[in-house]
Amino acid sequence: MNRAMTPQPGTPQRQWRRFKYPGSLISYGIWLSILVFFAYTVEYLEIPLDRLLGMFERMGSTLANRYYPPDIEYIMDADYLEYVLETIQMAYLGALFGLLASVPLGWFGSFNMSPSRRYVYPAARLITMGCRAVHEMIWAILFVTIIGFGMLPGVLALMFFCTGFAGKLFAEEIEAIDMGPVDAMRASGANLFQIMLFGVFPQVRVAFTGIAIYTWDVSFRAATVVGFFGAGGMGWYLKRNILQIETERVAAILLSIIFLVLISEAISAWARARVMKMK
Amino acid sequence: MSDILASPAPKPTVVDILRSRRQNRYAKGAFFGLLLIMVMWSVKVTVIEDTDWERIGSVAKVIEAANRFIGIDFSLFPSLLGPTIETLMIACLGTLLGVILCIPAAWFGALNITPYKPVTYPLSRLMMTLSRSIHEIVWALFFVAAVGLGPLAGVLALAVRSIGFIAKMSAEAIEDIDPGPVDAIRAAGGNDFQVVIYGVLPQVLPQVLSVIIFEWEINIRRSAILGMVGAGGLGLVFFRQMNTFNFHGVTSVIIAILLLIMLGEVFSYFIRKTVI
Repeated sequence: MNRAMTPQPGTPQRQWRRFKYPGSLISYGIWLSILVFFAYTVEYLEIPLDRLLGMFERMGSTLANRYYPPDIEYIMDADYLEYVLETIQMAYLGALFGLLASVPLGWFGSFNMSPSRRYVYPAARLITMGCRAVHEMIWAILFVTIIGFGMLPGVLALMFFCTGFAGKLFAEEIEAIDMGPVDAMRASGANLFQIMLFGVFPQVRVAFTGIAIYTWDVSFRAATVVGFFGAGGMGWYLKRNILQIETERVAAILLSIIFLVLISEAISAWARARVMKMK
Repeated sequence: MSDILASPAPKPTVVDILRSRRQNRYAKGAFFGLLLIMVMWSVKVTVIEDTDWERIGSVAKVIEAANRFIGIDFSLFPSLLGPTIETLMIACLGTLLGVILCIPAAWFGALNITPYKPVTYPLSRLMMTLSRSIHEIVWALFFVAAVGLGPLAGVLALAVRSIGFIAKMSAEAIEDIDPGPVDAIRAAGGNDFQVVIYGVLPQVLPQVLSVIIFEWEINIRRSAILGMVGAGGLGLVFFRQMNTFNFHGVTSVIIAILLLIMLGEVFSYFIRKTVI
């Protein structure tokens, strides 16, 4: 019994330590520097930490006194419901146009299927990244200044937003395909379109449908607020009531947004589950 | 059991299969027809009727309007550095606070470790849905009212907005873990806390880290606009340039945002490579 415990002659003596010397030092150094960075950030932004504690009380009293009885009648108004309908329309039009634009972008931006890795691939990636990087509110403001108020700028802003969102997911999905059928088709002399249509598309069809449904869901969430800067839909109602300090109406509008988003999320989850089952 | 064995499901005949295919095709046709009609109708409402075509005028006028944005105001760049750093820092702090806030949400929201299912699970789901369904601008307005103008409102808005996504993905990761280590630690006498620290956390850490990095990237995007409602950063500069009709300055701000996001993407790529 004792023999097992004593080290055998010839084996190098190794002692088990919980903290291994260089590794643990480096990792603690990294953690410490992250901590210092965050401390410096708080210092740099001049964040009043004392206000953080008083916040809850103030927020609680504000919510209870000013927002509490939400003005439900206001959101049952026919005018408002019309705006809700507009929001839904904007959301799916934007999603649809964005998806139409992002299918070619996803194709060109996927490393394995791109027609030219040298020129087309980086260009498609750059466009997708640009669409994704600029926030939907900025798109909305830009389009409102270019073509004026209304729903068209909202649709365009959502379109760009969805292009960036879906384009990246599409490209990733195409990059993950099985290259066997593609190689077989290429060997038998198919051109680019034929490969795309019969080699790639059947493999990603289900995933694309799922992404499309998800895009619509995300687009709807964004559509509830693009109106904030004059691009149509419920956002304008929200902004107006916030500016007029009609807090009870604001609460009601927020409740309606949450309700609609819950419904859209349920629909999209159900539809995605059904689509995935078809796989 | 016995009557299932007694009457096996009848094998579908060719006629059945053809019929079901035909029905499928009709259903598909009806679905796409409906979709087409809906799209046409909304195009009619939104694009044709609601748009003020006279104000837009011709294509040339639209291009002229868009042309105002082409050009860069280089004199603005030195004064953009401060807001850019501020935006980045708001995003970092917001993500950190969001991660801290989402620990309870992820713990309660994972079906296999939630402490008391009928109460805590719906509570966590409610938190996630609230956080995801309200846009960051609205959250920022809330917090500007609660803590005053400044970066703190932006940090809080981003934190609350991040809970939904991080908590949802983390909860899903926790639900997928291998129960073996958890059972082993429990059998060796570990308490709940030790089970989470040594059994659950090591298994989900890589996934959760990648979700956090992803959310950090999104938060940079978001923090760039929070300034529009008074939360500091690049959004404030953007709004000011827009209101003074300095369209070249607007382009400069957008370029700064793009550069910041590119930087974030490169950075997150390297972190992902080293950590995971």
